[in-house]
Amino acid sequence: MKTSRRISTVFILVAATAVARAQTTEPNQSDVVKALLMRIDKLEQRVAELEASKTTASAGAPAQHHEPQEAQIPSTEGRQSMAAQIHEHDEHPQGGAVAENHFPSLQIRGFGDVDFAATDERGSHSGFNMGQVVLHLASPLSKKVAYFGEVSFTAQPTAYAVDVERSIIRYDHNDYFKLSFGRYHTPINYWNTAFHHGLWLQTTISRPEMIRFGGRFQPVHFFGMLAEGNIPSGSLGLGYEVGLGNGRAGVISRAGDFGDVNNNRAWVARLFARPTGLQGFQFGGAIYRDKISPTPALPGDPTFGEWISSAQLVWAKETPEFISEFANVHHRNNLTGHISDSQAFYAQLAYRLPWQQKKWKPYSRFEYTHIPVTEPLFSLADFRVQDLVGPTVGVRYDITDFAAFKLEYRHTKRGPKDPEVNGVFVQTSFTF
Amino acid sequence: MRKAAKIGTWFTFAFVLGMVLVSRSSAQTNTTPDLAVIVNPKNAVDSLSLNDLVKIYRGERQYWKGNLPIVLLFRPPGSYERMIALRVIFQMTESQYKQYWVSKIMRAEATAPPTELFSGGMTKEGVMAIPGAIGCISATDLRPGMKVLHIDGHLPGEANYPLH
Repeated sequence: MKTSRRISTVFILVAATAVARAQTTEPNQSDVVKALLMRIDKLEQRVAELEASKTTASAGAPAQHHEPQEAQIPSTEGRQSMAAQIHEHDEHPQGGAVAENHFPSLQIRGFGDVDFAATDERGSHSGFNMGQVVLHLASPLSKKVAYFGEVSFTAQPTAYAVDVERSIIRYDHNDYFKLSFGRYHTPINYWNTAFHHGLWLQTTISRPEMIRFGGRFQPVHFFGMLAEGNIPSGSLGLGYEVGLGNGRAGVISRAGDFGDVNNNRAWVARLFARPTGLQGFQFGGAIYRDKISPTPALPGDPTFGEWISSAQLVWAKETPEFISEFANVHHRNNLTGHISDSQAFYAQLAYRLPWQQKKWKPYSRFEYTHIPVTEPLFSLADFRVQDLVGPTVGVRYDITDFAAFKLEYRHTKRGPKDPEVNGVFVQTSFTF
Repeated sequence: MRKAAKIGTWFTFAFVLGMVLVSRSSAQTNTTPDLAVIVNPKNAVDSLSLNDLVKIYRGERQYWKGNLPIVLLFRPPGSYERMIALRVIFQMTESQYKQYWVSKIMRAEATAPPTELFSGGMTKEGVMAIPGAIGCISATDLRPGMKVLHIDGHLPGEANYPLH
């Protein structure tokens, strides 16, 4: 009696422990999904075994018309190779139907950001501001034709400005030749073609000054046609982009979407390498040629020849992340023959910290822009580009897989007579 | 005698409990099978280097020889095949993988991430039905009729096979 009571007590204790354990380790959703997937796999395996045994039993011998071919199938204990006869399979439309593309199939992804800024610049106000709301569209039109678009909504003093940032239709011949037409972010700069208007994609709050939206140093947009592809180069992973388009509009911060302002087409060529053995590493260079017809017209109505050469070095892995770019802008006043070269570069270093589920990523960037005082275009009031020396430090905290907080301090020094400006910036950026 | 019976009862109980625990732990430490890469039987490709496979799954190579578009088939989060592919092929975490495809589509380098199929059976069916399809399934799910690719010159189950 006493023994049975003790056993009962032990059972109650064990049961209580089991219940408590079950409560503390209640499976989360991913565990349930994992279990269901395993269950599906087991059931499918069982069905296949049953089908196989049924076929063997009814046929008695292997079908004569099936072509034999070697295939390696490990046993369930794993790692044992064996040869098996191959036979024609029945067509199973279910998985194929799910996996097969449908055309067109439009996918929309949104990007957004909300910002706060406070600087000690004279006359500036601190406060919140609405960043951009961006919709990115991707739609395959056939197996080899696809459309990509990017539309932005930007807060203005009286309303929202809507802009078509990119609109591209691309025809793929193969990996080595893809031809597209439309409005692009000019492939003369890595940042410009890697992050576009998705601020959540970039580590920092702001773009580098040399390629900022609305900037004049380099043409951010390009309207025309672009050929791109891989270059057979083995593990070096070479690729190219060659474009022909309208070039800068009369207002040089904009592209000539409405039509070219002269009869000279702009062209751009970029060559880059993404070595196979170094995932995330990329280096390359680009050149850009254009003839600028400025609006408003300058005295004597001069045009300007523009040559831009650039170089990029990128290590996109986050431990560490390193991005550095350089560009030289060469201008020639075609009326006077006066030439000038302006330079800009930036180097950005970031590191994804291993603690706290890798959510923290501190970063820093140094930027430099130099415009000679005699520059024939950038030194004029309507086309001005300013000097800049500016370090930035900040930290990014990824709230979820698709949203981040960023906190940034920037110190900027423009011309020799301009005051130094310090600013603190906060941003939450996300994709939806 | 009574004491001996009591000890015997306790011993039996402890033994049974021990056996249950041992069987549970051994079930949890089963060896994991290799990941087999399968393609449509009509596909002329028989082997790939691991680097080529990485390029294909990362969307850097999008066409087979003969300009046939590659259709990537993948398993959903939580599956064994996905876990192996993320570690060996993509070298990414689940979060990095999601962000990678958002970024790639934004750069107009792809129109969609790999199609996710909910079972090994659906992956097999997809590969059989689509000429340019490529999929990864557990080597234990391989059946006659499938075209299994050599990776770095090895098939699943062989020494030096890289996908496990």
